[in-house]
Amino acid sequence: MKPNHIRSLAFAILSFLSLLANGCSDPASKSGNESKADGENRVYTIGMSQCNLGEPWRVQMNEDIKNAAAKHSNLKVVFKDAQNDTLKQRAHVEEFVSSKVDLLIISPKEAQPLTEPVAKAIQAGVPVIVLDRALLGDKFTCFIGASNKKIGKAAGEWIVKTLGGKGNVVELMGLQTSTPGQDRHSGFLEGIAGSDIKIIFSADMKWLEPDARKEMESALSRFEKIDLVYAHNDAAAHGAYLAAKASGRTGIKFVGIDALPQEGVAYVSQSILDATFEYPSGGAEAIDTALKILKGETVPREIILGTRLFDASNVRQGGQELK
Amino acid sequence: MNATSSSGTTSLAEPLVRLSGITKRFGAVTVLRDVRFEVAAGEVHVLAGENGAGKSTLIKILAGIHTDFEGLIEYCGRPARPCSPLEASALGVAVIHQELSLIGPMSVADNIFLGRTPTRAGFVCEARQHEEALHWVRQLGLEIDVRRCAEQFPIAVQQLIEIAKALSQKAKVIVMDEPTSALNAPEVEKLFALIRTLKERGCGIVYISHKMEEIEQIADRITVLRDGQWVGTAPATELPAQRFIQWMVGRDLGEQFPRRAPNPGPERVRLENFSVFPKGFAEKNAVHGVSLEVRAGEILGIGGLQGSGASELFWGMFGACSATQGAMRLDGREVSFASPRAAIESGLALLTNDRKATGLVLSLSIIANATLAGLRELSRAGWRRADAERAAAEKTTSRMKLRAASLELEVSALSGGNQQKVAIAKWLQTRPRVLLLDEPTRGIDVAAKREIYQLMDEWTSEGMAILLISSEMPELLTLSDRIVVMHRGRVTARFNRTDATPEAILAAAMGRVGNATPAIVA
Amino acid sequence: MAKTNGLRRFSTSAAGRAFMALVLVFVVGAIFNADGAFFKIGTHRDALRQASVYGILACGLTLVIISGGIDLAVGSVLALVAVCCAKMAIHWGWSGWLVVPACMLVGSVSGGLSGVVAAKLRVQPFIATLALMVAARGAAKYFSGGMKVSTAVKSSSGSYDYVDVPALFRAVDTRILGDNVSMVTVIFLICLGFSWLALAKHSWGRQLYAIGGNEEASRLSGVPVVSAKICAYAASGVLAAVAGICQGAQEQQGDPEAGAGYELIAIAMVVIGGTSLSGGRGGMGLTLLGVLTIGYLDKILSINAVPEAGRLMLTGVIIVAAVLTQRRRES
Repeated sequence: MKPNHIRSLAFAILSFLSLLANGCSDPASKSGNESKADGENRVYTIGMSQCNLGEPWRVQMNEDIKNAAAKHSNLKVVFKDAQNDTLKQRAHVEEFVSSKVDLLIISPKEAQPLTEPVAKAIQAGVPVIVLDRALLGDKFTCFIGASNKKIGKAAGEWIVKTLGGKGNVVELMGLQTSTPGQDRHSGFLEGIAGSDIKIIFSADMKWLEPDARKEMESALSRFEKIDLVYAHNDAAAHGAYLAAKASGRTGIKFVGIDALPQEGVAYVSQSILDATFEYPSGGAEAIDTALKILKGETVPREIILGTRLFDASNVRQGGQELK
Repeated sequence: MNATSSSGTTSLAEPLVRLSGITKRFGAVTVLRDVRFEVAAGEVHVLAGENGAGKSTLIKILAGIHTDFEGLIEYCGRPARPCSPLEASALGVAVIHQELSLIGPMSVADNIFLGRTPTRAGFVCEARQHEEALHWVRQLGLEIDVRRCAEQFPIAVQQLIEIAKALSQKAKVIVMDEPTSALNAPEVEKLFALIRTLKERGCGIVYISHKMEEIEQIADRITVLRDGQWVGTAPATELPAQRFIQWMVGRDLGEQFPRRAPNPGPERVRLENFSVFPKGFAEKNAVHGVSLEVRAGEILGIGGLQGSGASELFWGMFGACSATQGAMRLDGREVSFASPRAAIESGLALLTNDRKATGLVLSLSIIANATLAGLRELSRAGWRRADAERAAAEKTTSRMKLRAASLELEVSALSGGNQQKVAIAKWLQTRPRVLLLDEPTRGIDVAAKREIYQLMDEWTSEGMAILLISSEMPELLTLSDRIVVMHRGRVTARFNRTDATPEAILAAAMGRVGNATPAIVA
Repeated sequence: MAKTNGLRRFSTSAAGRAFMALVLVFVVGAIFNADGAFFKIGTHRDALRQASVYGILACGLTLVIISGGIDLAVGSVLALVAVCCAKMAIHWGWSGWLVVPACMLVGSVSGGLSGVVAAKLRVQPFIATLALMVAARGAAKYFSGGMKVSTAVKSSSGSYDYVDVPALFRAVDTRILGDNVSMVTVIFLICLGFSWLALAKHSWGRQLYAIGGNEEASRLSGVPVVSAKICAYAASGVLAAVAGICQGAQEQQGDPEAGAGYELIAIAMVVIGGTSLSGGRGGMGLTLLGVLTIGYLDKILSINAVPEAGRLMLTGVIIVAAVLTQRRRES
């Protein structure tokens, strides 16, 4: 019947338009391949495919890339957000290749479905830097990522040092069905191996602050002596801090991970957390590596980022780098 | 009575189906008692009777829906007892209900083969189904795309699709229950032509209808049921209208209820050319240009059979149906109600004919139901006053002579009669000046009925105007001061108390005006 | 005789069954008491605290469910209001006396919107509130800029200024009665009290029961069906707003991702309490029992450090069992 057809047509048009609108680039940078050949001062266009901007940490990654690129007048970055849709991200990669960008940076949603489009980009002569999540095989130029295991281990080592080798620790874990959660746990165990640190209570708080607060309350009611809380992210550490504060329990130290400037670092500055470890987004390194690639230098296949420690002693100086 | 002569009406061969000695009980109530009925090949056999005579129960037995009954069914001479509708259709019986049973969003082809979809290893053979469906539909002179959804076709076409379905099931006996209620005149003609074709093919048609004009046109034989009993069967040519109606109505009207002499006051309600167009499909049960008036202290009875439009008239008056035309006056002032709430505030009350569906909230207590329409008066600034509610409920339910262990009981735990009393009590609370009663004594025992009649009497003496719909002839005759009869949404007859007779009323209810009685006021 | 009859009636009633479920949970807690932690008053205070935000949502949901509808948007409205509350109190420095009514206004408008769509435009409540669920979440992300609205305020130079935690937050996330009762628990009980009053003592409450029991019969009895329903959804929105303020205060920030999945837990609390999802039956007392049952069950699992997988399975089994025992009565 006619009305049904008109309705589906209108719906199709609206979806198409919204797809267009979403695929549109960040207004801060211009779209397309307007690389002006300006003699020696050639402006390079870099395409950045982000899998989603729902997580604040990824928003930070884009910010880091933008800030790093702003320092170089010969770089123009075009951002595309795939809104956590793998197929959309594939399409974005293909769009970048066909508009002949000089380099592609991608933070993939999943390894398997994006390996081939990236391989095709390499074939077409576009160098590709992969951030944060690895692809399969080796058809990309460079992978830059952090190691949650390393971070967990660094946290463990710092905790051993700070507690003098022994103490009761509560571990508030991220989603244990996800790799980051598992790695931050196994890394931590490595870091405290051989010491007298005891994990007296551990719970899966699913990365959520209210859940972390709830589990911390349970720990507080069970155990008289808690020396330190190791939480897999800063939000959980914050929740645990509030729980302890409300119960009037003092003397507990709080350690988190992620170190976003307005969250973890801010908490350390306000003496809410005793330490936090940066989960580097790799944005700045990506731009540095991109410049090297564009100049024609060779770069390592894999760059594993270190972390930065932020604690009371160094937070004002921007933390301390740990390799 | 004239009927089109048909070929081979009374053949000496075995009838297609014969029911004998059929008795059906629902608990303590006997709905059919020793009923007989048969259908021969090539005839149209009309099954007639008032509301509640037992026609639909008999058809349900024939269709295999009721399996628990006494009596014998024979198909072409062989006794059989279908345990399910599927078995009945395998025996060659197809029923086309008044409420069509097509599945709207499914295609015509799927509908025709519902339950018998041709499959191969579990997968539907679309092509074969399409071909066969097309074949059957063409047999009826329909040229439609059988892939389209059934609900996209007008009712008349849907009905033909149902008939096609029946034919594809190789039905020999086709039962049509009020088939023309949703059709206009040319469509009815087409249907009748089709029926004649089916007759020539050797099918037997059972035709249920209230419409005299149709029965006259189409019937070969007529069987009348009354109060669950078989009254008579005769060829249409040997059954004049007067005797037909007498069969339906009977002589025994039971005990007369003494009604005190009416003393009507000034005019309370007047309808001028009032029409109602209920939502749903356009023509069905619409009310067209009804004019009537009721005075204070008067009971106006509205007679009519199923589909007469009387209930819809009440809903339109009460503001429950928004599409109305024409004028309604209360005490001379013209009014129009956008919602039931507005009508209640102006002094109207409507007791619907289905207390479970539209009259009561079964999950609430007696008190809650009894005070539902009058919450505002019984609360202070919105806050309920439980003591006032209880007092009001006690007052109204005791007036209704309600028998219940406690007023906190849920009404779902009450008997039908007591539930009806609660429903009426709710309206007493609002002290209405016009009371619309739709089948107020349906499903109530005799004692309770008399109590309600008594109350209606009292109310009229207090000045209430009452409009009463009743399909029970004795009730209508004893209670009403005046009677109007409706048929297909129009008033077909008006009577005073003195000159109303059951035959005249029924004739008018079936659409036949003139003839039977004197003093018919048009 | 009368006494045993009364006892039997209680035990087969919805309240009786819900009460027995709660008693059962307490028994389990006493047995698996995690080195005596279950008997500490602090554990009970915390169990009530963590259940309170869900409980406030459950109050609003009870009103809507009794009227025959459902509200899937409460979790998202919670987030939207948490964000608004944090913005108003932290970034704009409004006083609590202004923030609370403003947030409740946001909640009532959101709820009222889904009420109009469900009751007046006759869209199925599931769909109408699902749409608001998505829209409110989007609005929360938009107003917060995608990040949590916290006491770390970005200044024009790019660095962060640290603002004090607003008085409103400190007032909500506090303990009274000698540290033994959380303020949010008190807020929950106040919300419960108001909702109970409305449902049991006001004619609007009676109207909701009638509409949920038989909407057409109610309409024909003069009950203002559309406006009563819209008020129910608006009330649910207001209560979701109160929950949002409590959530924001307890996190000391407005998180646009907060409240995800809370609506399902709140609905489970209502259902376990004994209120029927088809409408017309139930009440606030039953919801309180449901809130306590699920809240305490969660706490017992938490103090015993039961691993996540086990918690999910156990909670699921208990919800199914509770609903099955309910059904026996209705059959």
